[in-house]
Amino acid sequence: MKRHIRTSLAAALTASMLGLGLSAAAADDIVIGASLPLSGPLAGFGSFQQWGYKRAVEEVNKAGGIAIDGNKRQVKLIIRDDKTDPNATASNTETLISRDRVVAMLGSCTPALVNAGALVSDRAKKPMVTGCDPLEAFKSVRRWSYVWDIFFHEPELAAAQFKAMAELGAETNKKVAIWHDNGPDGQVVGGKIWPALAKEFGYEVVQNAEFPIDNSQFTSIIGEAKSKGAEVVLVDAITPQAIAIRKQMASAGYTPKVLNIEKGAEPVQFAEALGKLSDGILVGGYWDPTFPYPGAADLAKAFESETKLSSSQHIADSYAAAQVLLDAIAAAGSTDPEKINAAIAKTDKSYVVGPVKFDENHTAKLPIVSLQWQGGKGVIIWPKAAKTGDFLFPLR
Amino acid sequence: MLDVSTISSTIVSGVLLGGILALTALGLSIVLGVMRLVNLAHGDFLVVGAYAGLFFLQFTGIDPLLGVPAVAVFVGLLALPVYRLLLAPLANRGAEAQMMTMFAVSIILENAFVLAFSADTRSIARDYATVPLTLGPVTFPLIYLIGFVISVSLILAVHWLVSATAFGRDLRASAVDAEAAATLGVDVKRVQMLTFALGAACAGVGGTLIGAAFQFSPSSGAAYLLNSLAVVVLGGLGSVIGTLVGGIALGTLQSIGGLALGDGYRDLVGMAVFLLVLAFRPDGFLARGRT
Amino acid sequence: MSEAVASCPHRFRAPGAGLVEVAVLVGALAVLWFAPDFAGDYWLQLGFRTFIFIALAQGWNLMAGSAGLVSLGTSCFVGLGAYVTFGLLNRLSLPLPLALLICAIAGGALAALVSPALFRLRGLYFTVGTLALAELLRLLMVIVSAFGGASGIFLQEDPPALPVLFRYALVVALIASLAMTLCARTRISVILRAVRDDEDAAAQMGVRPYRVKLGAFVLASALAAMAGGIQAVKLGAIEPYGMFGLQWSIDVLSMVIIGGVGMRLGPVVGALFAVALGEMLADYPELHIAITGAILIVLIRFAPHGVVGLGAKLPLTRRMPA
Repeated sequence: MKRHIRTSLAAALTASMLGLGLSAAAADDIVIGASLPLSGPLAGFGSFQQWGYKRAVEEVNKAGGIAIDGNKRQVKLIIRDDKTDPNATASNTETLISRDRVVAMLGSCTPALVNAGALVSDRAKKPMVTGCDPLEAFKSVRRWSYVWDIFFHEPELAAAQFKAMAELGAETNKKVAIWHDNGPDGQVVGGKIWPALAKEFGYEVVQNAEFPIDNSQFTSIIGEAKSKGAEVVLVDAITPQAIAIRKQMASAGYTPKVLNIEKGAEPVQFAEALGKLSDGILVGGYWDPTFPYPGAADLAKAFESETKLSSSQHIADSYAAAQVLLDAIAAAGSTDPEKINAAIAKTDKSYVVGPVKFDENHTAKLPIVSLQWQGGKGVIIWPKAAKTGDFLFPLR
Repeated sequence: MLDVSTISSTIVSGVLLGGILALTALGLSIVLGVMRLVNLAHGDFLVVGAYAGLFFLQFTGIDPLLGVPAVAVFVGLLALPVYRLLLAPLANRGAEAQMMTMFAVSIILENAFVLAFSADTRSIARDYATVPLTLGPVTFPLIYLIGFVISVSLILAVHWLVSATAFGRDLRASAVDAEAAATLGVDVKRVQMLTFALGAACAGVGGTLIGAAFQFSPSSGAAYLLNSLAVVVLGGLGSVIGTLVGGIALGTLQSIGGLALGDGYRDLVGMAVFLLVLAFRPDGFLARGRT
Repeated sequence: MSEAVASCPHRFRAPGAGLVEVAVLVGALAVLWFAPDFAGDYWLQLGFRTFIFIALAQGWNLMAGSAGLVSLGTSCFVGLGAYVTFGLLNRLSLPLPLALLICAIAGGALAALVSPALFRLRGLYFTVGTLALAELLRLLMVIVSAFGGASGIFLQEDPPALPVLFRYALVVALIASLAMTLCARTRISVILRAVRDDEDAAAQMGVRPYRVKLGAFVLASALAAMAGGIQAVKLGAIEPYGMFGLQWSIDVLSMVIIGGVGMRLGPVVGALFAVALGEMLADYPELHIAITGAILIVLIRFAPHGVVGLGAKLPLTRRMPA
């Protein structure tokens, strides 16, 4: 019997720890929440998003907060780590809504995680603004009522390099090899959009290979492309795989004239890990500090001086998403989810990422540019209006 | 596509890569043989070695492959307190307690990597690491050959250590029967500690090679742990030469699998082979008894 | 688990002890069934998570604590349950209870299928084998696009509301606990311990170790599959990394060790502890993994019988150091 008493004491202790865990927000604060991958494979993205979200909230608070029913209130942002696990994103979102009583949510990153949180938010009728989720992948899940996405549209991203090659006059034998991972956007971009665009622009697809998202060896894929003489290689993979592909191509002695690596080649860690091998690689981008939008250059400068790291386009997407949400709360002048949701729908303003206006699918498109890594820096080579450098061709 | 050149290149690449895999698995094998411990943090020791090689290059400018001895010593030294403080007290508690402790060490290490070095994927970028070497009809990455040579040299050195020195004799005695060895005057605790450190040092060197040939990140450890387990099972527990053979076998099988079925199936082939061997010959193909 | 778990002195009291346990469980069911009418969403969600963990932990504890089988393959069955449930709900529109039942059967069937190979392996080899199996299955699910590949699949209908899901999870946890009562309070527990402590000796005594281990494995796998199924329904969208990921195996193992392997209350205490710890540390994202690891190390070293074991140490009855 005594043992049972002791164990129930242990259980009581546990329960009281639960109580201690309940954090107290000031009663007047406007609470918004986000679940981000701060550990696990996507921790790189998560840290940029965290910075972007926090900065937007800090700026609003410094300016006095948001006026709700006439009273100015501060905004409290609660961020939880979902460890790159969709199960955790879902449970974090639930807890933020039910325990911390957030009035609205900001999204995670990559379709799997965003979906998990968005489904919870949509069902709980809490507005969520997210970035970091390609629009077709976002739309394919369901017709959203409360979730809004600001990101690029895969078909535009896919078309960017073809357009760039055409306008910049890249002379190749027009033979294309497509390598893509089997994630949602990899399959859409690599499996459907690129082959169709290739035909449209007069290219011959000599190889279309799919591989698992976390694949480590690419020797056969590379060997096949090399033997078929493809001078243009289009890749859609995440960063570890992007690095592996570039290294293994070099080790196999295969250097096409044009190498485009979507997704994976975007972050600075790609260029840092590869050093000289990263030169000449093309990647689509949706933001750059040189864009002519309000606050773009300052955002990158602030990031670099605060964190001593190179900036990434993800700080802009998250910063803008948070600003859109905060502006909507201010426009609604209320913490009622329905009013905030209605205000988000009416968004029509220019942010650091450009003009944001949601269509009937709750998506807002970001413009695409083509970037090329040159000496560890991303240089915009297309379109002409946004150019910050010259196109290095062919790949060496 | 399937011409002589491609097939022979694939097989040679597989053999060379297998040598590197063998080195990464060697530490796991000897620790398993002597301490009956499945070191679940083994993959993370590899990653420690990879980071060590990367920063060695950054701070001294010396090529990490030349700095391999330094990396080995560094990782080995790190392993000593891990053994002394965490494993030694659990020596009489059965295998699961030590295994779970190493598992906890593994998750702490991964978290520490993220905190210290950020979650970025890294690679040791050296020019010689990404050029091909062509010998007749056969083409393969030069780094594979370099890695193979380093790996085999180290494996043979460890083999000599285990079979021809006093320490090696003590090690083998402890592996076969720790209690009997203790009664014969072998300081089993010391042998185990040094074996653990040796295993970690080998893992560290393997990690540097991986870092140069491929890439790594804080969470890379798990995948390498599984590969290493497969090598150990293929080659036989505690057998140093067996690990070399097991590694080469796995490397070759994976490469052939990748060629035949597609690169995405390499890991699957590896796991399938692993399970088959585990099911039918858990002591490994070469086991005649334990070394 | 050999020396790591000293056998708990299950003193055999009158057969009434088992009935008391059943009564307690049924009573708990009755009380908690009405929880949705009183408790807020937050507590229902925590309850849901706890019940899922309890179901998984009870099964794992049965395998490891009672039958000596330390498994790192929980994620196999969780994922299987998830995908089977979605398949049944999406394609055949079966009612959820029936889908979960079929799930359990599928989990048990997979366990039975792989056991001839897995049970050739003893001790550490078995653990490594389950790890390899889990990884193999995950790789398969990622590669084979018929199951959605890396994109996964979505539940076509909206899942039931939280109170309903809460009750489903409660029932699953209850089934798990009742099954454990059955194993612990009948002859089965003696047989299990005999197989755990010395398989060969037990065989000499007429026990058939293979059958016993198979039974524990099948039961644990069926429970894991059910838990995976209901978790998947709650998520509404599943993919291989989330449902077949190693974190399931790791979480279950951690919580049973923290609760106390082989202890009757180990799984429940472990599950409560894990959920509470997760909530407390969720506000300190940078450190929570490291702290979990540190807690594991400390507990393994100083409290090999977990929190429950600590609780049992407090009164005057002390054990000899293991």
